[in-house]
Amino acid sequence: MTVDAPPVMFPRKPKRITGKSIAVLTLLTMSALFFCIPLYVLVVTSFKDMDQIRDGAMFAMPTTWSLEAWRFAWFEACSGLSCDGLQAGFWNSVVILAPSLVASITLSMITGYALALWEVRWSGPFLFLLFLCAFVPFQIIMYPLIRLTVQMGIYGSITAIAFVHTVLAMPVLTLIFRNYYKDIPPELIKAAIMDSGSFWRIFVEIILPMSGNILIVVLIMQITSIWNDYLIGVTFGGLGTSPMTVHLANMVTVSTGTVSYNVNMAAALLTAIPPLVIYFVLGKFFVQGIAAGAIKG
Amino acid sequence: MTFRWSRITPQIALLPAVGITLVAFLGSIGWTVLMSFTRSRRLPEYKIDMENPFRQYNRLFADVGWNISISNLVVLALGSAMAIVLGFVLAALIERERRGEDFFRTVFLYPLAVSLIVTGVAWRWIFNPQYGIENALHALGWESASFNWLSDPQTAMYSIIIASIWQSSGFYMALMLAGLKGINTEIWSAARIDGVSLWRVYLEIIIPMMRFTFLTCAILLSLGVIKAFDIILAMTNGGPGQSTWVPAYFTINAMSAKGNLGFASAAASMMLLITLAVFLPLVALTAWQQRQARKGAH
Repeated sequence: MTVDAPPVMFPRKPKRITGKSIAVLTLLTMSALFFCIPLYVLVVTSFKDMDQIRDGAMFAMPTTWSLEAWRFAWFEACSGLSCDGLQAGFWNSVVILAPSLVASITLSMITGYALALWEVRWSGPFLFLLFLCAFVPFQIIMYPLIRLTVQMGIYGSITAIAFVHTVLAMPVLTLIFRNYYKDIPPELIKAAIMDSGSFWRIFVEIILPMSGNILIVVLIMQITSIWNDYLIGVTFGGLGTSPMTVHLANMVTVSTGTVSYNVNMAAALLTAIPPLVIYFVLGKFFVQGIAAGAIKG
Repeated sequence: MTFRWSRITPQIALLPAVGITLVAFLGSIGWTVLMSFTRSRRLPEYKIDMENPFRQYNRLFADVGWNISISNLVVLALGSAMAIVLGFVLAALIERERRGEDFFRTVFLYPLAVSLIVTGVAWRWIFNPQYGIENALHALGWESASFNWLSDPQTAMYSIIIASIWQSSGFYMALMLAGLKGINTEIWSAARIDGVSLWRVYLEIIIPMMRFTFLTCAILLSLGVIKAFDIILAMTNGGPGQSTWVPAYFTINAMSAKGNLGFASAAASMMLLITLAVFLPLVALTAWQQRQARKGAH
């Protein structure tokens, strides 16, 4: 599990367009179109009115572009018994995100730092244990965690969701931070220790300022995975604390009366927009996050 | 590199992580496995069922829903394996051409940034029997097109497979691209000089060289398939009937809808066993590979 340094790009000779590259580019463009179909269909459907949707031309552009479905999805759509729209879920997700990010990243950073740079005799077996924990299916620890959060008196609250996010992210994030810190030149730390640096002072004054790169990668990884989580939110959240994905799932799976497909599509897009914006703006770090999260043989 | 400056502070700093590992992971796993040998129903009973400790497992293996879940797991794994093939082809095309690399990578990877609930909603809409793709293709003149897959137990699983291929191909493409870039460019020139055709270079040189990337992809795929839950919930909610149940769905259902703790724990323990069956070979292979690499270095 390593974060790749950005690959060194050798300047290459500008290639002439050949028949072969036209064929390759055509193939790639066609695949790209296939990948865009679901997004395209979501967008056009969300701007149509139900009359046009009933005409059945799924790929047609809206005859009149209407924001009504978006407004309805945000303010009025029903999820379960409450009909306050997706906005409630959106704000829940925002509120869940902050403590989950801070707790999971702080914990894993400190753990990774201690395991990478300090002498801990049992660090080897512990790392192996973390490696195993990273792949445990959630279902096998779900019920005990419910009981644990009930006993802690936090079940159903934002705190419980943030706690479980922190627990589940800890093994992978710790391994990522540990792998990043273990490449720090030992001379640097030795000098710091000579300078009577303590565990925490070295962390704050040397390690933290060096962690910018990995921090962005992990931050993006965590924002997308926490925002997109459904299972933890639905299991540990309560009526007023469930995240946006849970509201969305309730909206689209519980059908009462006629289904407003345009509202469903607008709701899905509203849920997808925050991570998509992050992805399109900071895509480079997103790719690095994938490389870091994936085990490398 | 390790240093002897203070022994206590780092160990104190590690306490929360150790606590979480022992309680939330190891302890919880142990608790669930214990539950699977008891007769617990809605509330936990801590007495192991001595007469018939495997009662829950026997019930599980006889359960129709569980057997459907297991066969769906296999179908889903085999079907989703297409994502690895597609990922490799896309990565090879991008690597060959290089023009527009960033653009294509961005397009192929964006599904990964989106919640699986959203993915499920989108594909459920595409497969909508009334207004979906079937209808659109009929309108375009392809009268015999039949994409009403979601309402037919025989085909519902295929629509989930298509959605998961769409969702995960970009991920494998990114891993394959990294693997392809690690291959020495001299191989290409050498093969060129020998007049070996492009196909044979890929099939006989590149793919064997990338076997560990493929292995990693295969293992990540299996682990992802075992975890598959959100997309099934959003696309079919297990239906029609039980036709798209998978172990992850079965376990949650046994726990929350049926409220049968011992039974659900047996299912969860089986999920852990399946994960281990996939995962342990990986650990063994990685260890073996490292030993080979060390041998090579000497």
